[in-house]
Amino acid sequence: MAQSTRQTALSVRHLLGIKDLTEADIQLILDTAKEFKDVINRPIKKVPSLRDITIANVFFENSTRTRLSFELAEKRLSADVVNFSASGSSVKKGETLLDTVNNILAMKVDMVVMRHSSPGAPHYLSSRIKANVVNAGDGTHEHPTQALLDSFSIREKLGDVAGKRVAIIGDITHSRVALSNIFCLQKQGAEVMVCGPTTLIPKYINSLGVKVGHNVREALAWCDVANVLRIQLERQQIKYFPSLREYSLYYGISKQMLDDLDRPIVLMHPGPINRGVELTSDAADSTHSIILDQVENGVAVRMAVLYLLAQL
Amino acid sequence: MQLLIRAAHIVDAASSVDGQVCDVLIENGLIQQIGADITAPDNARIIEEANLHVSPGWVDLRALAQDPGFEHKEDITSVCRAAAAGGFTDIALLPNTQPVVDTKGTLGYVRRMAEGQPVTVHVIAAITKKAAGEDFTEMIDLHHGGAVAFSDGLHPLQNPDLLLKTLQYLQPIGGLLMNRPEEQLLTRFGQMHEGVQSTLLGMKGMPAIAEELIIERDLRLLAYVLEDAGALASGSPLPSPPSLHFSTISSARSVELIRQAKQRGLPVSCDVAAHQLVFDDSALAGFDTNLKVNPPFRSADDVAALWQGLADGTIDAIVSDHTPQDAESKNLEFDLAEFGVTGLETLFGAVITHNTELSLGQIIEKLTIRARQILRLPTVSIAEGQPASLTLFDPAKQWTFDRSLSKSKNSPFLGQTLTGRAIGTVHLGQFHHVV
Repeated sequence: MAQSTRQTALSVRHLLGIKDLTEADIQLILDTAKEFKDVINRPIKKVPSLRDITIANVFFENSTRTRLSFELAEKRLSADVVNFSASGSSVKKGETLLDTVNNILAMKVDMVVMRHSSPGAPHYLSSRIKANVVNAGDGTHEHPTQALLDSFSIREKLGDVAGKRVAIIGDITHSRVALSNIFCLQKQGAEVMVCGPTTLIPKYINSLGVKVGHNVREALAWCDVANVLRIQLERQQIKYFPSLREYSLYYGISKQMLDDLDRPIVLMHPGPINRGVELTSDAADSTHSIILDQVENGVAVRMAVLYLLAQL
Repeated sequence: MQLLIRAAHIVDAASSVDGQVCDVLIENGLIQQIGADITAPDNARIIEEANLHVSPGWVDLRALAQDPGFEHKEDITSVCRAAAAGGFTDIALLPNTQPVVDTKGTLGYVRRMAEGQPVTVHVIAAITKKAAGEDFTEMIDLHHGGAVAFSDGLHPLQNPDLLLKTLQYLQPIGGLLMNRPEEQLLTRFGQMHEGVQSTLLGMKGMPAIAEELIIERDLRLLAYVLEDAGALASGSPLPSPPSLHFSTISSARSVELIRQAKQRGLPVSCDVAAHQLVFDDSALAGFDTNLKVNPPFRSADDVAALWQGLADGTIDAIVSDHTPQDAESKNLEFDLAEFGVTGLETLFGAVITHNTELSLGQIIEKLTIRARQILRLPTVSIAEGQPASLTLFDPAKQWTFDRSLSKSKNSPFLGQTLTGRAIGTVHLGQFHHVV
């Protein structure tokens, strides 16, 4: 990885989505994350890189692991951290998003990590404030750091993302993880299939150059990596399928199904898992699974993103 | 008032001097004389501008005044000011105010507020109480009270029985039903056109089929009503005006459905919003809420089909679909922002700037003769002895839309340079100078 042409800075000031990144940006983030992963496995896990940088984690939507992962990444970079959580939209409380964030910025914050239920909310914010904005999930649009950590985990496990076949299985329509992963994997030269009930796959998804499937066993037989998504019941405003029981019968993955394949595949899940719905427990806990590696890698990837944005 | 318009290109398909360059002398609200080198009376105001064009006054079929109820967004005075600045002499206002225009009381309020304004206000009354899609308003009484047409405006009629009964009920008075076609069960929570762009942006789509299904349904219901009345004589074109008007159609298939219906002789008409002729859904990539409209901006192919529909006469009129929204309703996350843009001041410039299909005469006909036929307004024509209701304009004038007279500023054209602008209007004995 010691090419002289290697990029040393990101081409963007904000991380709003994978769509805006170049392949070189992605490689830079993943390479930097590798260095940070070494750091967090040392006895002293902390580096002074972001000393004197203040980061606000502004979460308008519930989150446990993403918020924790960002907070850990920030603390290991020695940044000062403030957290703001509000369930539901701030508008319902009478304050606009812009006012909320401007109030936080008035307290001299350099970066904002934001999760919000509205697609485009971080884009809206980034055009109106000076701080760097990191999208930690905007509705059903993008979740860029999740896609980056997924690619990092694939690279770590299989050596490279290019040329790999990745099946994304589950609720594609309501998933920001799916869209960011499609962009991220394709930019690195992987092949992508989406698989799920027809009602949970956007009608125009094949225009993005992905294969579309509706049979889980066929998807598993096709792929090198299966990235299984959670059923986003909280984001489904109308009915898309009859019951979780029927979903798990026809789209759930068991260890037996993985064992029956003629070659091993890698099983991923962005969490939290609905055990017994999209994955049986024995599948989630099997040797195929790298689900907990994904969680560990999440901290390193987020350290890389924050570190690189702070350099600009 | 005496007014002499010097050397103006006459654009009026109904006039014997259409296409000629003439002087027009106006006295006491009437066109007194049309000719070459008319001697100016002593006290006459003379209007002389390069590339001056004059047509019958322009008519907008669809604007929202927000008054009564939402006067902080717009009121009757400000909407009329914006309309005059856009070159309009007549506008038709939607009933979606607070309270809704569903009684003679509210109708009277709007008509009173419109007195003395530079444009004539025509009021579209609601079909159902509170435009809620349930109980009928007193439509005949509203008709006699001056309502120009009936529509639930921003709320598309969902119930087919309601539409059927309205068409039947309006028949004896020759009334007009205007409906924006949308099957709302297919567009719930939708933010933009369903397509590749909505997939890329992770937004819930509003599929074009939601519009097309309602057009198909309503056309069949119209034919059904006319069969009953024995009015659908086979093959012979029905006399205008139409009984059913589709507002702001937006998809290629919608144009085709209405084209076929007209060929079958159904008394139907339709319009398109000017902004639909300019933007497609790719414009939404930056999540600009001033591009959030309903119907949504569709594909580039749909935009091309709308222009084609205008050129071949399928689409009768171009409307502003003026929907003023304050900053608090627009400066928000995309899915929380209200739908709609202002449009009265930029309609002509937007159309001229982006037009490649139509002659100037065709565009003006859609703003004048056809729009008047749809609303059953008397024809206004540039001829001696006729009332002077005129729009003066320069179709080549370049200008930047940097100051809006509307109370709201939710226009995607703010700051843009457009070609084609109204210079003023002559209406009700007054000359209103725009620039």
